[in-house]
Amino acid sequence: MATIGVSPDINEFRVIHPLDDVAEQKCSAEGLGKIQMTRAVRGSLGVLRAYLILMTLMLGYHVLDLSGLLHKAR
Amino acid sequence: MRVMEQEDAVTTATAGVVVRSAWQRRILTFLMVFGPGLIVMEADNDAGAVSTYMQAGGQYGLHLLWLLVVLLPICYFIQEMVARLGIATGKGHAAMIYERFGKWWGRFSLLDLLVVNFLTLVTEFAAISLALSALGVSPYISVPVSAVGLTLMVVTGSYLRWERIVIALCLMDLTWFVLASMVHPHWATVAHNSIVPTMPAGGITSSLVFLVIAIVGTTIAPWQLFFQQSCVAEKRLRFADLKWARLDTLIGATFTVCVAGAVMLVGNYGFEHKVVFQDPAQLALALGPIAGSFVRNGVLLLMVNAAVLGTTAISLASAWAYGEVRGWEHSLHKKLWEAPGFYATYVACVGAAAAIVLIPHVPLQLVIISVQVFAGLILPSAIIFLQLLLNDRELLGDRWVNRRWNNYINWTIIVVLFALSLLLAAQVILPNLFQ
Repeated sequence: MATIGVSPDINEFRVIHPLDDVAEQKCSAEGLGKIQMTRAVRGSLGVLRAYLILMTLMLGYHVLDLSGLLHKAR
Repeated sequence: MRVMEQEDAVTTATAGVVVRSAWQRRILTFLMVFGPGLIVMEADNDAGAVSTYMQAGGQYGLHLLWLLVVLLPICYFIQEMVARLGIATGKGHAAMIYERFGKWWGRFSLLDLLVVNFLTLVTEFAAISLALSALGVSPYISVPVSAVGLTLMVVTGSYLRWERIVIALCLMDLTWFVLASMVHPHWATVAHNSIVPTMPAGGITSSLVFLVIAIVGTTIAPWQLFFQQSCVAEKRLRFADLKWARLDTLIGATFTVCVAGAVMLVGNYGFEHKVVFQDPAQLALALGPIAGSFVRNGVLLLMVNAAVLGTTAISLASAWAYGEVRGWEHSLHKKLWEAPGFYATYVACVGAAAAIVLIPHVPLQLVIISVQVFAGLILPSAIIFLQLLLNDRELLGDRWVNRRWNNYINWTIIVVLFALSLLLAAQVILPNLFQ
């Protein structure tokens, strides 16, 4: 464990702040490309995408309506 | 699982603090890790949340206290995943979505986040303006001064300095407990209603459903996912810190829910005295003659504190996310000139939101509605990506992925949140749907 070292005196512990500690190797997506998904997950994300686009358009219309801009245009 | 090296960390043989016992070591390590969990949770008790909890107490007394208790584990489970992902990858949430789900989802998540965050910031400054106006300070002074103060907090070039200031602001919310005890609630009823759901007089109405959804929506917000992961990466938490990050998150969730309960108790005082109010500032002014000036001024100042906490966390969530995706330097460790894009994003968010509030006759109601619906839109999708990332063995390996029981709990939470977000969106866009 990089965070806490035991000094030569066995009864002493050195506690190091994360910002001062040695570099740690992290999980990286470099070179992995996109996440691997089953067909079901991919399909569900497609449905989610359609839902989000639809809701965003509905919200846009609702906001324009509430702000009175649509009435002015008519 | 592939690995990479984190940059910049420097250790010398003399770094750190020497302690003489194992329990001192544990406490000190926890204190060093402590911060992101408390901040993300308490900053979520922002002006909008205070308003919602107070409204819940004001309209339904103590009947909705149980909901906060239910939300505690939900908050914890979601944010624990965020902390775990942040520690495992050392990267923010926006960057991970971009890298693993491609540009479309990356851009959509980022755009949605930036829009909903910005609209939320407008409501935070509106709350600052409202609360300080009630204390006799002109909005043309309070809003710009707050914006400048919020900017100065982050441009010091030190994450730790920012973190300490924000933790101090979080702890100021302890005052809510003082206020709650000053309004003398019936503690036996408080304890009972915290555990046993009870039906308010009038039964299930559209307004009750809306308030329940609003409480859930305000307690679990999309920006929290992005904020905590970036914050954990910014603090460079190590693998061994995970248990302390979990404890930090649990303490944050518990503290936040307790503060939310205290706010509801203050609102309940208005309910008991039949005070009609639209926002916490109105309630505070009405409570002044009944409960005293300490309660009145306390509520107003804590409303400002909530808005300040929310603003700094939400603006940082936006700046971190945007910086990650653009590949800019995006760290509070950097000086202003070393990360100009990151700081410019933060200042632009704060400055523009403050400026909008000062424009006369701004349709704030429209902003509030848009915040609710946008948050409802982004939350389920953001959590779904979180869940998929936490099952990404190729990226995380066996050590960091969700266990089976994690997945059962999280998918249940996602289904409930998705249903609630659909209800909220439908109810806001079509107000007469359930009448």
